[in-house]
Amino acid sequence: MSAKDLRQKSREALANENLGCALGRFSDSYVVSREEIYRGMDFQALREEVAGIKSGAALHMEELAARFQAAAEKRGAKVFRAATAQVAREYIARLAKERGVELIVKSKSMASEEMHLNDYLQEQGLNVAETDLGEWIIQLSCQKPSHMVMPAIHLSKEEVAAIFSKEMGREVEPDIPDMVKLARQELRKKFLAAGMGISGGNIAVAETGTVVMVTNEGNGRLTTSLPPLHVIIVGLEKLVPRFTDVAPILEVLPRSATAQHITSYVTMITGPVPAEGLDGREYPKKELHIVLLDNGRTRMAADPVFREALQCVRCAACLNVCPVYQLVGGLFGDVYTGGIGAVLTAFFTNPEKAGEIQNLCLRCERCRDFCSGNIDLPGLIGELRRRTVQKEGMSAGQRLIFEKVLADRRLFHSLLRLAAKAQKPFARGGRIRHLPLFFAGLTEGRVLPAIADRPFRDLADSLPGPQSAGAAADERAEAASGVRTAGMSVGGRVAAAPGGRAAGVPAAGGRAGAATGGQASGAAADERAGVASVSALRPAAPRQKVGFFSGCLIDFVYPQTGVAVQKVLTALGMEMVTPAAQSCCGYPAQQVGLPDVAAKLARQNIAAFEAAGVDKIVTACPTCAEALKSLYPQLLAGEKEWSARAQAMADKVQDFSSFVHEHRDELPLNPQEQTFTYHDSCHLKRRLGVTAQPRELLAAAGGTIVEMSPADICCGFGGSYSIKFPEISQAVLGRKLQAVTGTGASVVAVDCPGCRLQIAGGLAHRGSPVEVRHTAEILAERLKK
Amino acid sequence: MYESFVTKARALGTEVYRVDDPAAAKQLIEKLIREAGAKKVALVPAPLLDALDMEKVVSAARAELLTAGSVRKRADEADLGITTFDLAIAETGTLVQDATALDRRLVSMLPPVHLAVMPLDGLTATFRQAIANLAAGEIPGYLAFVSGPSRTADIERVLTIGVHGPGRLIVVFIDEQEGRGSR
Ligand code: SF4
Repeated sequence: MSAKDLRQKSREALANENLGCALGRFSDSYVVSREEIYRGMDFQALREEVAGIKSGAALHMEELAARFQAAAEKRGAKVFRAATAQVAREYIARLAKERGVELIVKSKSMASEEMHLNDYLQEQGLNVAETDLGEWIIQLSCQKPSHMVMPAIHLSKEEVAAIFSKEMGREVEPDIPDMVKLARQELRKKFLAAGMGISGGNIAVAETGTVVMVTNEGNGRLTTSLPPLHVIIVGLEKLVPRFTDVAPILEVLPRSATAQHITSYVTMITGPVPAEGLDGREYPKKELHIVLLDNGRTRMAADPVFREALQCVRCAACLNVCPVYQLVGGLFGDVYTGGIGAVLTAFFTNPEKAGEIQNLCLRCERCRDFCSGNIDLPGLIGELRRRTVQKEGMSAGQRLIFEKVLADRRLFHSLLRLAAKAQKPFARGGRIRHLPLFFAGLTEGRVLPAIADRPFRDLADSLPGPQSAGAAADERAEAASGVRTAGMSVGGRVAAAPGGRAAGVPAAGGRAGAATGGQASGAAADERAGVASVSALRPAAPRQKVGFFSGCLIDFVYPQTGVAVQKVLTALGMEMVTPAAQSCCGYPAQQVGLPDVAAKLARQNIAAFEAAGVDKIVTACPTCAEALKSLYPQLLAGEKEWSARAQAMADKVQDFSSFVHEHRDELPLNPQEQTFTYHDSCHLKRRLGVTAQPRELLAAAGGTIVEMSPADICCGFGGSYSIKFPEISQAVLGRKLQAVTGTGASVVAVDCPGCRLQIAGGLAHRGSPVEVRHTAEILAERLKK
Repeated sequence: MYESFVTKARALGTEVYRVDDPAAAKQLIEKLIREAGAKKVALVPAPLLDALDMEKVVSAARAELLTAGSVRKRADEADLGITTFDLAIAETGTLVQDATALDRRLVSMLPPVHLAVMPLDGLTATFRQAIANLAAGEIPGYLAFVSGPSRTADIERVLTIGVHGPGRLIVVFIDEQEGRGSR
């Protein structure tokens, strides 16, 4: 599927209201009931136990397969090792034909879906009936399952009734209990007439040759009991060494899959058991064949990165919480869907398609918190993206932007400045509908803020004070004389009069020395010096020298956030500097699969902050924080000299709210009552684990927080995602906006400029008066004068 | 432990009873068969049931005990099936049965109502404990863990009972068994 097709299909999926509604409603209630079912259990410990078992099994896959085969055969089963889907299908079809089977009943098996078994058997003239209700509905309507656990979740009862009516040749009412009864009767006939049963397996125990299967309907029990010939298809990733390993896996699987303590039926089959033929003949042992399917699993186990995906227990939690899956359903994936689907598709079913579908991931990282196998799914998808780009390349235009423009700070920044001018004719009231240059596309269906006239990097040199010029002059005098008065909220500010730098600058040591020229040449001089910053009169005795990493969005779109950060930090008695040689954090480049570009930017930024000689590095953008803190050490790990420097920088980095929260007792606040709702940015909450700090700061500033429900669902920004899949991005945003307006609050506080861009744009587009503000701005407004 | 089993099992829709001794069990089972309106009953012989003289109990409930013919037919025809279970797990409200024998698998699955009879001393606290106990011996050919009636939520996620397996699951715990005394 080409990128264009994918986008077209996503439009169609979004237009299917039932799909979005059903999945969205399910997701909301799923999160609640899942939490309930895990109450009193240590989910983290449990999933680490599962991950330990499964990762160990992945390392010894071949050995376990051999042990399993020996144990199962000792008990009388026949084990067939299938290297590919094709040989597995052929084996099963041959078996059915040799035994003269006329009808096959199947219970749910993702591995059989993976090998497109039904189509193949039917081509071979064999009659197959799916017996899981959802799968049966899907089979009757010639569709593909959209969900690993609930295959027909995308269909309404009316649609099901229509499918049944067609099958039965009579009108079937859309009454769920009646339809379930009908399915029972129809499928019971098939169970009793079937000569072969095909089932899947959730766990395969090497030491005993046991296959464990979980179902709720009981069709698995009948499939494995009635026909005298039974075939189990089980992927190599289901192997575990010991029988006792079954316990932790079954503790997470039903809880995470359907929020059940246990499914209605758990069946453990070890070797063939007695059966009765269709003719009434009794068999003391039926014929049991176990197809152990490889089909890419060995390759996955040999891959040092993707081996982790073998820890998956197929609970589908990652689908259930995925904002994209909620909207487009099975489109996000192939046979396997959702985030894990993208990864499994790459190895099991359709590597080419995987390269496309991974693009649908928003990188909100919500799934990681829920994964029963403790898999870093966002990390794996990132790697998939990197490999896709490496192999297939990206469009020449896109590559040019990242490699030539983004990696060259001067060029990038001058283009942004140019953009600020070029957009003038399009900007209305500080907002813009069409951006020039490479931001085009971002404006689809959303109002974007204009690129600021003056980026923060310029303002940082000449922050105008909130007070009158007189007050500013006073401050200058005080600052120059080295006295910091309590009432001086922005002590580190030079507060230059427009058009010229303050004359009395600074007693602030050599670092501020660049700030001696006129305004016009100041920036250039700063660049030469490598340290722009310091507008700054330091507080008389600064407690710490804090470097501010602004990030592109605050620098060029929301400079007011930078100003607010500076006010707050100065009020805390910190000296804040903003090194001018800093550039884009590199996260977007990494995200599109260009780690080389990201590494180049990492080195630039590390050098810039080293030159500034700071004690701490604060950023008001969680994505930048994540880049500086986690991505840089990872990107530069192999580079002798740089890896230590990257780590040294990472150790200094903190997000704005956490940093201020640590010093909250010293923050001179003048609380004002106001009601806010707070949006958890994905990166802040999930990567940095920060949720309470901004809320407590807002409360200290007099704020009352009305939580939205759900608070932590992604806003849909996802960086360049909103360019690639504007429709999905918009639809995810739509859910967020509903949650926002549902609170009745007039201001949404955020800690992320990206989320702000997305949410504010959406609100403006819908004509909503609700404002979006960065926590730093709310605090800065409430500083004691 | 029993109490916690009852809470968990009832939450799943299992109907739970407990009697002191075989005599009380007979009375209760007769009543349950009658209340279920079952006309045809299938059962799988086991020492626990033999002691209850089930033939009499079933006929006292004015139902027919199916004994002749293929087990597939018997199980499919019956309105109510009776089998014994070996273990119960308090933590999850689960009943466990060695269902290697075909009749046990079919009689416990095909009829719309299932009546499970269980000695109280088979009660285990946790799922992990049950697995560990099973791991200590040879694993039977077909182990069945049953937690509540057959259910589906495949159409619009509406919970519906009794898809392929029984729509009603009744369990009768017997405290004291003949010749074994109470524990
Ligand atoms: S990746 Fe994790 S959350 Fe997703 S299905 Fe697998 S185990 Fe479940």
